[in-house]
Order: sequence, then C-alpha cells, then structure tokens
Amino acid sequence: MKRVFVVDDEPDVTDLLRTILEVEGYEVETATDGRDALARVMEEPPDLLVLDLMMPSLDGLELLRLLRADPGGAAVPVLVVSARSGHQHQLESLQRGASAYLCKPFSPRELRRQVRLLLGLEAEAGV
Amino acid sequence: MAPVNATQRSGGFQAVGRRQGRLQVRIARYVAFAVVVSLAVSAVALIAGRQRSLERSLERSARTYAALASPQLADMAEVFRSSGGRLLRQRMARLLELNSDVVRLEVVDVQGRVHLRWEDGESHTFPDSETAPRVEDPVLLGALQELDISARRLSTDGGDRVYRVVAPAVEQWGRHAFSVIATFSYASADREILTSVLWSGMLLAVGLALSFLVAAILARPITRHVEELRGGARRIADGRLEERVQVSSGDEIQELAEAFNAMADTLQQTIGQLRAAYRELESLDQAKADLVANFSHELKTPLTALRGYLELLADSSLGPLSPEAARAVAVCEKNVARLTRRIEELVALSQLEKGPASDLIREAVAVEALLHGVVDTVLPRVEEKRIACSLDLAADLPAVVGSAEHLERAFLNLLDNAVKFTPDGGSIRVAAEAHEQGDRPGVLVAVSDTGVGVPVGEQLRVFDRFYQVDPSARRLYGGMGLGLSLVRSIVEAHRGTVWVESEEGQGATFFLWLPSRPPDSGTVPVVSAE
Repeated sequence: MKRVFVVDDEPDVTDLLRTILEVEGYEVETATDGRDALARVMEEPPDLLVLDLMMPSLDGLELLRLLRADPGGAAVPVLVVSARSGHQHQLESLQRGASAYLCKPFSPRELRRQVRLLLGLEAEAGV
Repeated sequence: MAPVNATQRSGGFQAVGRRQGRLQVRIARYVAFAVVVSLAVSAVALIAGRQRSLERSLERSARTYAALASPQLADMAEVFRSSGGRLLRQRMARLLELNSDVVRLEVVDVQGRVHLRWEDGESHTFPDSETAPRVEDPVLLGALQELDISARRLSTDGGDRVYRVVAPAVEQWGRHAFSVIATFSYASADREILTSVLWSGMLLAVGLALSFLVAAILARPITRHVEELRGGARRIADGRLEERVQVSSGDEIQELAEAFNAMADTLQQTIGQLRAAYRELESLDQAKADLVANFSHELKTPLTALRGYLELLADSSLGPLSPEAARAVAVCEKNVARLTRRIEELVALSQLEKGPASDLIREAVAVEALLHGVVDTVLPRVEEKRIACSLDLAADLPAVVGSAEHLERAFLNLLDNAVKFTPDGGSIRVAAEAHEQGDRPGVLVAVSDTGVGVPVGEQLRVFDRFYQVDPSARRLYGGMGLGLSLVRSIVEAHRGTVWVESEEGQGATFFLWLPSRPPDSGTVPVVSAE
C-alpha cells in the first residue's frame, strides 16, 4: 500500500485530503506543522508528500529545500497544493524541487489524478 | 514617460541655444536704425537748405549781373551795326568771363525779336528781321516791355535747370530799345548738391556701422543677464531643481530672475511633495497588494475545504445523495466556483494594476491558439444561452510578444463580458487580423456581441475599476466591474490599446490591439499557448 504524507496548517484541508486519498486506498499520514512534518518525513520517507506552501512555523518552500538537501528525502515526489496562483509561484516551486503544482481550491478529481501520476500508477498520456 | 519629456524639453532649449546672441543683434539693429533715420532726416534738411541757399545766391548774382551787363550789351548791339563782329566778340567774351554760370546772353527788342545771341562761345547776329528768332514765352514778352528787371525760372533748356533774367537797357535820353535776356544754369549748384548727397550717403553708411557696433557693445550687459536667466531656466528644465538664477542687474531682468527663482522654489517644493506622496502611494499600493494576497489566501483555504467536500458529495464518494440533495450540492458547487473566480480576478487585478512585471512580457504568443482556447472555455455557457458564436481569424496573424497567461486572461474577460451581456439566442463574433497602429505592426482582436451595448458617454469609463454601466446591472449580470479594468491593465502593460464601439441597444464591439514586436527586441522564441 502506497504511503502518502499530507502537510497543511489547516486541519479541515488535511482532513479533506485524507478523505479523498483514503477512498483511493492509500495509507495517509497528516501533519499541520511544518517542522513536525519535516522530522517525520525525514525519519521515514513516504511514497509521496502533499505539501502546502504558506504555513506559520516552517514555510513549504523552506521545507522543500531542506527535504531536497537530505539524501533520504531527495527522491520523494512532492505535490505542492497552494492558494498562491500564478506562473511565478508554480515556477518557483518547481525550481525548488517540487514534482507538480496544484492551485487551491483544487478539484478532488484532479488531485487523485496527479497523485496517481506521481506514484507511477497512471501513464502520463493525455496530459 | 519621463525620459521622453526630458528629451523634448532639452530639444526645445537646443533650439533656443541656436538663437544665441539674437537679442543683442536685434537691439543693435534697432539702435542703428534709429541713429541712421535721425542722421538721414538732418542730412536731407541740411542739403535742402543748402540747395535753396545756393539757388538764391545764383539768382541774386544773376540779377545783379544782368542789370550791370545789359547797358553794355545794348550798346554793343548798337555798335555792332557799324563796327565789325571782332570787337563785339572780345567784349562779349569779357562779359561772359565775369560769371561762370551764365550760359547764354540775348539782346532782344521790345517786340521780342532777337538781334544778338551769345551761346557756347559763339555769337550769332540776326540782321534780317524776317528770319530772326523771336521770344515766344508770353511772360518773357511781357517782361520785355517793362523797365523793371524781371526774372523767371525755367526748367526746360536742353535738360538743365536754368534761370532767366530780363534786364531793360535804357539809353541816356530815355529810349528803351533793347532788353537783355541772360540765361543762367544751375548745373554748378546741382553738382555741389550731388556731392553733398554722396558725402552724406557715405557718412550714413559709416554711421550705421558705427552705431550698430556701439549698440551691440552697449547691449551686451543686458543680453548677458538674459542669457544667464535662460541658462538657469534650462538647468531647471533639465531636472536640476535646486539650481537658481543669479542675476544682479538691478532692473526688470533681475526682477524676472527673482520671480523665476520663486517659481523654481515652488516647483521644487511641489515636486518634493508629489514625490513624497507618490512614495506613500506606492507603499500603500504594496500594502494593498499584500493585503489582497493574504486575504485571498484566507478566503481560498475555506473554499478548498468547501469545494473538495462538495465534489466528494457530488460524485457520491461519501455515499449516495437524494436528487434534491444532489441539486443543492450542484448549486453550492456553482457558487463556490463563482466565488473562486472573483477572488482570482481580484488577485490578478491587484498584481496587474501596477502593470504585470515587464519581465513576464517576453514570449511570442500565438493569438489564434489563445482565442480558440478561451472560446472553448466559455462554450458551455454559450450553449446554455443558445448564443451563436463565430470565430473569424485571419490566416497571417503575427505572434504578439507578451505573457500568454495574462493575455489569455484578457481575452477570457472580454469574452466573459460578451457572454454575460448577450441575451439568450443572441450572437457573438470573435475576429482577429493583422493591423498596424501608427507604424507599429500588431494584431487587432474584435469581440462583438448583440447585448445591451454601451452608451457613448460611458465608453471610456467601462474600463474603470468597479464600473458598471447601470448600477442595477450588478444584480442582473453579476460581477464586480473588475473584468474590463483588468483587460485594460493587461493590454496597457503590453503597450497595446483597448476601446469599445457601441450604440446603445445595438450591441458592442470591444477592440483590443497588441503590438506584434516590442520596440527593442531581437528574436523571441515562439512558445505556443497551452
């Protein structure tokens, strides 16, 4: 079973992500604090990290940088889910090592598809 | 904008620079003119007076000469009858030597018959009374009979001006048989006057040159002050607002310089205030943009939860729904989508009203692809309202340089606007063609609808923020009045133009022109729109 780790400072959103992903049959872990999340992810790298950008204690971009600097976390695919829209932010996230970018408010259907793509459960065709 | 203005200003002053010294020349010219006119007037008066006096003196000496010469001549006429012509010639020559101005002497009897004439060094006698010349001039004829000396001026005698004197010769016993007509030429007097005129002319020329030079030298201090004033004005115009003009001429020019300095003080102060106000506005604007960004984040987080759960409900991931519940969920979803769109608009606007960052405007964007994309986007709503939508793109559309993301937003907003205001069963036409504006090549996009139209007086204001043609339109059509202002911000950031043509009730056509080449670009890689 694929293990997905969800980081978002808003508990309602982590709950939503958990609901969506568990329906799909993934094992879901959540964190609402960046520092806590980083420690846990580094300890046991998940198959996929779903990451919010704007968080109080540790910013998502900073978390991403620290994760990519760690040998254990360098290979973890990261799906950034952020309320920031616009090419600029997407570009910045991708440059920092994110694998994909999804704008809030996102569609659960789109999220499921992105997750399947990043986990290698669906071919890239038709994008 | 600012550099362009500066160039224009300094350009204007360069033109002034070429006129350097003109004021000095002009002053010198006026002074020289005045001097020469007064000199000329006095010269003319003097010469006229001199001429008159020369003529008087000639006439006086002519009358004296005639009075003295006439008895002798009359005697000679008598003597000539008996003696030979040689003695006559000698005596005549002596008489003529007495006055160089006399050109002709005639001895005439009271009937006007000429007996003897001396002219050009030769004497002529007319013994035959039939062939002798006669005096025809009635005034002279009248004078011949008088005993008083009579004089008259005649201007026609071979072209020269002459003065004629009739002098009676009365014999000792009182017989008045002859008179003498002496003709004097003004030629020598005229020569003298001509010489005076020539001398005066030369003096005038010298006076003109001298007075011009002197006036130019004297005008120098005045024009120097004016030049100082102009130099100061130029420096201030070039943006050196702290510059002041130093003129201490103690006259109106100094007053002008002081007034100018006062103006520069005010200008400097005002510009300082404006700059401070502008900085404040900039920081406020940034604060507002930050506020909008933060606030939109705060809005989107709850919307994320709403949209996510609503979609899970709608696709029955959380269990089956009754038809009523499904309808309610669909309404919620629609409104969440609307709310999301509005927030996106607001965010985009707050970023764009400063103009999208110029480094974003760099891709070569294929307009036709963008237009196909946005038409596809609005297609569901177009079909829902049974609107006939046509897309009419010219084959040779050049790519425009810009930000595909922003241009797509602009086209979408125009099309959204058209769909919103076109009634059910209406039509929308989207056209694009290559079009030059001024000398700049570009693409003209036209979006026409059959909606309510825009009244003429409102056609500029539709692009203002939060503007609605009719306040009630907000309830009827929705939206915040941000869409078109966003279009304008985007287009202006691309150095394009946007305008609307419409007659109220006849629909409206929105035109959007974008340059296909930036003013200073090399080659731009073509990036097709997604």
